[in-house]
Amino acid sequence: MLEIKHTLCPSCSVGCGINVVLNDGEIVGTFPYKRHPVNAGKNCSNGRNSIDCYQNKFESAVVSKSETDVEKAIADVSKELSSADASSVTVICSGNNSLEEIEAIKDFAESKNYNIAFYADDLKDFDAVASYDDVEGASNVFVIGDLLYENPLIGRRIVHAKQNGAKIYALSKVDKSVTLNIADESSNGSVQEFLDNNNANIDESSVIVFNYVDAQEDLDKIEAAGCKVLPVFSKSNTKGALKIVDPKSEAEIIEVLNNTKLLLVFNDDVVEDIDFDFGKISKIISFAECENETTKISDIIIPIKTWLEKDGSFVNAMGENQAFKAVVESDALSEIEIIGKLN
Amino acid sequence: MSYVLAKSQNDDIHSAGECGGAVTSIFKYLLDEGIVDGVLALSPVDDIYDAMPTFVTDSEDLIKTAGSYHCAPTMVGDIIQKYLYDKKVAVAVKPCDMRSIEELIVRHKINKDNVYLIGLNCGGTVSPVSGRKMIDLFYEADPDDVVSEEIDKGKFIIELADGSEEAVKIHDLEEEGYGRRNNCQRCDVKIPRKANIACGNWGAEDGWTFIEINDEKGQELIDGAKKAGILETKNPSQGAIEGREKVENIMIKMSKKNQEATYPSVSEMDEWNRCISCYACRDICPICWCFENCELNKPYFKDETNIPPSPIAFQGVRLSHMSFSCVDCGQCDDVCPMDIPVSLIFDKLQKKYCERTGYVAGVSDDMKPPLYSPDKVEL
Repeated sequence: MLEIKHTLCPSCSVGCGINVVLNDGEIVGTFPYKRHPVNAGKNCSNGRNSIDCYQNKFESAVVSKSETDVEKAIADVSKELSSADASSVTVICSGNNSLEEIEAIKDFAESKNYNIAFYADDLKDFDAVASYDDVEGASNVFVIGDLLYENPLIGRRIVHAKQNGAKIYALSKVDKSVTLNIADESSNGSVQEFLDNNNANIDESSVIVFNYVDAQEDLDKIEAAGCKVLPVFSKSNTKGALKIVDPKSEAEIIEVLNNTKLLLVFNDDVVEDIDFDFGKISKIISFAECENETTKISDIIIPIKTWLEKDGSFVNAMGENQAFKAVVESDALSEIEIIGKLN
Repeated sequence: MSYVLAKSQNDDIHSAGECGGAVTSIFKYLLDEGIVDGVLALSPVDDIYDAMPTFVTDSEDLIKTAGSYHCAPTMVGDIIQKYLYDKKVAVAVKPCDMRSIEELIVRHKINKDNVYLIGLNCGGTVSPVSGRKMIDLFYEADPDDVVSEEIDKGKFIIELADGSEEAVKIHDLEEEGYGRRNNCQRCDVKIPRKANIACGNWGAEDGWTFIEINDEKGQELIDGAKKAGILETKNPSQGAIEGREKVENIMIKMSKKNQEATYPSVSEMDEWNRCISCYACRDICPICWCFENCELNKPYFKDETNIPPSPIAFQGVRLSHMSFSCVDCGQCDDVCPMDIPVSLIFDKLQKKYCERTGYVAGVSDDMKPPLYSPDKVEL
């Protein structure tokens, strides 16, 4: 039986809708979700390929590179935790976790006095952010990063702003980018220089859209710019996680990792994100959907429900809470169920 | 070719369906007689702007697919090709659906014997998000309160829960940048004559569907449904036939006018300048069927380190390969994250190809696909 079901794309913080095609209960493809107000049926390649994690998911737990029963592997994790000094245990959560999972991870870490580390792309939560419609209606749009290429469904709103008469000022780390292609004014310097040089052009109807900064001070400068701002995160629920857990900068996370002997990673690829010698950590335990750089060096891997197999909610970059439902049933445990067993 | 007016003999279908429920009744006949494994049709999910293709195998469920959904611009050719190839399928097709299916039949990607094509005359479709915004801006109604919509006599008509209706001229909506999708505004194939039958309200009396029977299979459908007691038919008057023809000709004339205005206006390189090479247009194209074997996936075309991507390496190659077969369904426009008017660029070249060869993708009879080679090896 052919079925098409609605869900949310987990690829970045834009919050696009996506349809999943099932044939006889098996996920076989994606289909445009044209009714979705965020993206009107448009998805980038990351979004359309996001079902790959389901098709490549871990089917069993892995302990010391050998496949094993999930319950036994969870018992091994409990044993490791019970013999560890709490101050040397660090729990990593991320924007890949749903709001419900972040709450559970936070409660788990706090109740055990473990360290908790959460990386938010070195960005932060702003009290008020621009909506996607604000971007389209802005008089000037200041773009930090190649948003058209890296976050195309925000990039589309920048294109609309230009079509509506806005002037586009773009900053890129490289000489060429898709965003630079449509920009009226292009820069390649630092974020500070970009903001200083364009200070006179920023007014109340401007919007600054960005997916990176060079330093924490840049965030203060962006906040003080006197216009609406829209930080765009690399993970689907970073904005939601920021409401629950204080983020750490990369430097702060490295400091925590230097004092960590047992690392628990909940659905994240910290090895990809953070430049650190993870070989210094005695034991790494990953709770993961499918293989990534972190699971490759993990001592224990516990499979978790993929985003297609669970209910939950994300907060997108403009602050909207978006709920999603499982599109397929699964015997895998959710992160919340695993935490219940570890407690 | 012959004409008939038809309506359902089933009271529930008659009241739920458009124009007397003939299409739904024909589907019911095909399912109940075991002629097909299932019916591929649209069914609303969250609201009328959110109709999704659904494969119905129990005729009791057909009632959920009754009615028209102009704000659900879907495409069924690729669905049949990818997921229903080995099934006997009855399917409701707009002209662009029919054209894509015809192109796929020619390419041996759909088995003609397996499909029953119930054509729907089409004046165009509306994108759901802009459609809701359009209703919010130009009507006195909340888009959430609309229970059905229709395109008739040059107007986009909405019906509310209390039975009241509001109508605005499509021309006025399109002047403001709303109304039908851009490809629909220039589409000059309004009646799907490659389908077994083509159904609609043009020329029909109230409560009846005007059906053009295009081939023997179509005649068998009508005869079978009548014999099964689910369909009533009568002959249309000469006035009805002429009225329908007049509507079709007016719509084609408007489309040609749109083509004349839009083809010269598009600047391919300016539009391609924001291409991110995400391949969404290729992946959604109902005619593209090579999938993972597509040459554009080969290392000599893939250069992910080159940002921004070279437009010629993707768009240019694809244009030269596929534009001759473009059926102007607009799915590529719908899914492009950068809002590149891909179908306009492709359709413009298809029209040039047609001027030289007479080939209209998915419409022309007895012609091999462009670039056809008997030596081409199946991938």
